[in-house]
Amino acid sequence: MVTADSIKNHIETTLPCELVHVEGDDGFHFSAIIVSAEFRGKNMVQQHQMVYRALGDRMKQEIHALSMKTLTPEQWAESNRS
Amino acid sequence: MDTQETIKQQVTTHPVVLYMKGTPQAPQCGFSAHAVKVLNACGVNNLFAVNVLAEPEFRQGIKEYSNWPTIPQLYINGEFIGGSDIVTEMYQSGELQKLLQEKKDQAAS
Repeated sequence: MVTADSIKNHIETTLPCELVHVEGDDGFHFSAIIVSAEFRGKNMVQQHQMVYRALGDRMKQEIHALSMKTLTPEQWAESNRS
Repeated sequence: MDTQETIKQQVTTHPVVLYMKGTPQAPQCGFSAHAVKVLNACGVNNLFAVNVLAEPEFRQGIKEYSNWPTIPQLYINGEFIGGSDIVTEMYQSGELQKLLQEKKDQAAS
C-alpha cells in the first residue's frame, strides 16, 4: 500500500525542497504541502507539474489522488506569519 | 482528426471547458464535483464539459495534451488553468472570478 511517508521520501529525493508534508492513510488519497526554492518564478501549473514529474510513474499507477499546495520559501514564511 | 487535434479544437472553440469524470449534473468523482461547484459559484453558464469516463480516448489524451496526470482539468479560452487544487485556490483568492470576467468582457467587445 502507498503510504504518505513513501510519497514524502520520493518527493524529497527527486526535488530539492525546504519542506514536504504529506498526509493521508487510506492508501489512495493524499494531500501535501511542499515548500521549495525551485518554485520561484513559476506559476502554479508549473509548480504542480514539477511535483508530478518528481513522482513520475507512481502518479500514473499507484497514487489515485494527490491534492497539493506548493509554496516558495517566501510564501511559506508569509503564511506562517499571518 | 486524432484525439490531440480534437482536444485543441474543443478548448479553442468553447470559452470554458472542463474535462471531468461524470457530467456536471452527475459527477462521478469528488474532485470533478468540486470543480463544477466552483464554476457554478463563479456564474459560468456556458460550460462545455467532456466526460472522460464516457469518452475514454480523452481520458489519456487530455493528460498528454497538458502534460498533467490528473482529472479534472479546466481550460479557459484555450489555456490550461489547472486541476482541482489550483481551481480551488484561484477561486478562494478571487483570481478565477477575475479571469472569467475578463474573458467574458473580451468576448463581448
